[in-house]
Amino acid sequence: MSTTDPNPPIQRGSNLRINPLLTATWMHLLLSGVAFIMCLPFVWMVLTSLKPLSEVGLDTWMPTTYQWSNYRDVFDYENPDINRRGIQFARFYWNSIFVASWVTFLQVTTSAMAAFAFSRLNWPGRDRVFLMYLGTMMLPGLVMMIPNYQIMIELGLVDTFPGLILPAAFSAFGTFLLRQFMLSIPASLDEAAEIDGASKWRVFWDIILPMSRPGLITLAIFTFMGNYNSFFWPLVMLKSESHYTLPIGLMYFDSSRGQSTHLLMAAVTMSVVPMVVIFIVLQKYLVKGIQLGAVKG
Amino acid sequence: MTLMQTPKGPTPIPTPGPTPGIHPELSPPTDQPFFTRQKRQLVWGLLFLSPNLIGFLVFTLIPLVLSLILAFSNWDLRLHNDRKSAQLAAAGESPEWVRFVGLDHFIRLFTDDNFWYYLGNTLFFMIGLPIGIALSLISAILLSKDLRGGSLKSWVIIFFGAVTIASFGILSAIGLGSAGITILLTGIFGLILVGGSVGGQTIYRTLFYIPNFTAGVATMLLWKKMYNPVNGPINDILSEPVDLIGRTIGQLPQQVMNGILLLMLGLGGIVIHLCATRLLRLFRDGEIGGVSAILGLFFLIVAPVTVVVFRWLPGMTYDISVLMVTVLGLGLAIARVGIHQDFFATASEGVGSSMMLSVGGMSAVFGLVGLGLAFHHLPVASADGLTPPNWLQDVYWAKPALMIMGLWGAIGSQTMLLYLAALTNVPGELYEAADIDGASPGQKFWNVTWPQLAPTTFFVVVMGVIGGLQGGFEMARVMTYGGPAGSTTTLAYFIYTEGFETGRLGFSSAVSWTMFLMVLIVTLFNWKFGNRYVND
Repeated sequence: MSTTDPNPPIQRGSNLRINPLLTATWMHLLLSGVAFIMCLPFVWMVLTSLKPLSEVGLDTWMPTTYQWSNYRDVFDYENPDINRRGIQFARFYWNSIFVASWVTFLQVTTSAMAAFAFSRLNWPGRDRVFLMYLGTMMLPGLVMMIPNYQIMIELGLVDTFPGLILPAAFSAFGTFLLRQFMLSIPASLDEAAEIDGASKWRVFWDIILPMSRPGLITLAIFTFMGNYNSFFWPLVMLKSESHYTLPIGLMYFDSSRGQSTHLLMAAVTMSVVPMVVIFIVLQKYLVKGIQLGAVKG
Repeated sequence: MTLMQTPKGPTPIPTPGPTPGIHPELSPPTDQPFFTRQKRQLVWGLLFLSPNLIGFLVFTLIPLVLSLILAFSNWDLRLHNDRKSAQLAAAGESPEWVRFVGLDHFIRLFTDDNFWYYLGNTLFFMIGLPIGIALSLISAILLSKDLRGGSLKSWVIIFFGAVTIASFGILSAIGLGSAGITILLTGIFGLILVGGSVGGQTIYRTLFYIPNFTAGVATMLLWKKMYNPVNGPINDILSEPVDLIGRTIGQLPQQVMNGILLLMLGLGGIVIHLCATRLLRLFRDGEIGGVSAILGLFFLIVAPVTVVVFRWLPGMTYDISVLMVTVLGLGLAIARVGIHQDFFATASEGVGSSMMLSVGGMSAVFGLVGLGLAFHHLPVASADGLTPPNWLQDVYWAKPALMIMGLWGAIGSQTMLLYLAALTNVPGELYEAADIDGASPGQKFWNVTWPQLAPTTFFVVVMGVIGGLQGGFEMARVMTYGGPAGSTTTLAYFIYTEGFETGRLGFSSAVSWTMFLMVLIVTLFNWKFGNRYVND
C-alpha cells in the first residue's frame, strides 16, 4: 500500500489491502453481476409482453416479431377474439390511483395533525396515548380484518371506494414517522411564533408543516405505493369488476385468461413501470424515510 | 368525547406567561396551578389528535375488542345467516343465536393437525430470513465501499472492460448466428457495469432495491409464469444442466455420496463447535450471562442433534429422541457454563446476541445436513434421468420456490438500507486500530463490523420474525392458493380462508389471536432485551 496516495479514498469500513484498482474491478464485476441477475425477470417480462401468442410457450426469449399491439389489447376488453381480449385496465389503473391518492391525502393530513399533537402540544395524558399508538403498530392487521369487514357491512360500504379508503386513512406508523421528524425541528421556532401571538393552528400550518416537508413527502410516497399495491383489503371488499384496483384486476386477468401470458405480461409491465419510475425519481426521500422510520424505541 | 366536539377551542389570543417546552419536565412548575391553561392544552391536543383518534378507535380499537369477543364465539356464516334464520322461522323454530363457546376454538386449534402443519409452513418460510439478512449484509458491505474513490484509471479500465464484454457478446452472437438474446443480455450487463462504474453505488443500490420496491401482485404473477414447469423460462434454463448433473452423478458410486454426506455432517459439527466456543468465550468475557449462555448452547445443540439421533438411531420415536437430547443438551450446557467466568454479567444479559448466534449456527447446520442428504439421495433419484422440479406444483418444491422469489426481493430490502446506514456510522478509528494490530479482513469483520452492526441485526431479525409470522398471504393467494396439498398455506392464509371463504368467523378470529399472541411474545422479547442490547 503506497503511503503517498495523492487522493486517499474514504476508508469508512473499507479495506483495500490488495491493489485498489484490481479490487475495484472485481467489486464492479460482482455487483453488476448480481444486479444483472436481479434484472433478468424484468427482461423476460418485457420480452414476453412483446411476443405474439404463438411464441408464448417457446424457450426463445426474443420475440421474432415485436407485437406492440399487446399493450393496446390489454385495454381492449370487448375484443371478440378471446386470445386478444384485455381487461378494463384503464379503469383498474384509475381506481388504484384514485384510492391511493385519497388514502395518501387523508393519512398524511391526520398523521401530521396527530404528530403535531404528540410532539408540539403538551397536554395531560399525551405520553400514555402515544404509547398506546406505538403498541398498535405491532398489531397484526389480520386480527382486525373480520370485525372491520362486519363494520363495513353495517355501514353499507362493502364494494365501495369509501369502504376501501377509510380504514387505510389512519395510521399509527405515519403518526410515529412524522412525530420523529417534528421532534427534530427546533422548539424555539414555534415558541417565538407563539410569543408573537400565533395560534396553535398557525404554528402548525405556517411553521411546523413547511419545516417537516421531507417527512410529509416520505410518508406520502410510502402510503401511496403501499395502497397502490395493497391486496388484502381490496380483495375482500371489492365485488364488482368496475371497482377492481390494479392488483385485483391483474389477478382476475390471470385467472380468467390464463393462456394470454403475453397480454398479462404487458399488463404487469405497465403496472411495474410507474413504480420503478417513482422509485428512481424519489429514492432520496425513500432511503431517508426507511432509515428514519426504523429508529424505534 | 364531549371535549373533542368543542367547536373551536379557546380564542387564539397570545398565551400569557412563559410557553412550556415540549418536555413536561422542562416547563416551569408555576404553570401547573392554572387549571384553565391545562384544560386549554388538552382541548388543543385533542383537536389536533381527533381526526386520527376517531379513525383509530373505529378501525383499530373497536375491531380489536370485537375480534377478541369473536374468538370465543361460535359465529359461523354457514349457521348464522338470513336465509337460515328465515328457514328456521318458517319451520316455527327460533333462529339460532351466536353463542359463547369459551375456549373451544383454541382447544380445537391445538388438537388440529392442519393448524400445526400451517404453523410449520409459516416457520419454514422463516428459514429465508437469515439467508436474506446475510445477503443484504453482504450487498450493503459491498455497496458501502467507495468505489469511485480510486483514480480515473480504474474507471477507464472498467469502462473498457464493459465495452469489451459487450462487444464480445455481440460478436459471438453474430458469429454463432444465434438469437439476439445474447446481444441483448450482454448489452444490459455492459450497461449496468458502465453505469455502476460511472454512477457508483447509487446505480447498484437502485437496481438491488427495485425488486423489493415493486414487489406485489404484479411481480408475483411474473414469477408464477416463470415457474411454469412446461414453458416457463426457469426450467428452460435448468433442464440441460440438471440433466447433465443427473447423468454425471448416476455414474458416481454411492460411496462418494456417502462421503459427501459424512463431510457435511462433519462440517455441521465444526459449525456447532465454533459457535459453542464463541458462546463460551463471550460468557467468560462477561458479555453474556449464565442463562443466556445456557439457552444459546441448548438451542445450538438440541435441534440438530435431535434430527440426527431421530434419523439414524434405530428404534427411536420422536418423543424419546427429543426428551433424550433435551436432557443431554441441557446437562452439557450447564456443565460447560459451570466454568470460571472472568468478568461478571447478570444472568440474562446478552440473550439477544446468544440467541442470534445459536439460531444462526443452527440454520447453518441444517443447511449443511440438508445438502448432504440431498447428495445422499441423488443417485437413486436420478436413476432414470434428472428433471428440474415442478416448482409451484410440487409439494416439496413449492415452499423453496416461494422462498427463492422472496430472496430476490429481500437482497435489496430495507434491511440493506439499514445496514448501509449503520455501516457509515461505524467509527473509522476502530478499523485503524485493527489495522495497526494487523487484523485480517475476516477478523476485522467479526470483531469490528459485526458487533457494531449488532443493534441493526437485532432490529432486523425481530422485525423479520414479526413480519414472517403474519406473512405469506399474498404469495399463497396469488400463486398457489395455499397448495399443493396445503404446503404453502401460512397462518395468514389460513385465517383468510377460514374467515372469508368458509365463513367460520369465530374460529378464524381465534387463529388470528393465536398469531397475535406469538407476535406479542416476540415483541415483548424485543422490549425486554432489544433496548439494552441496542444501547451498548
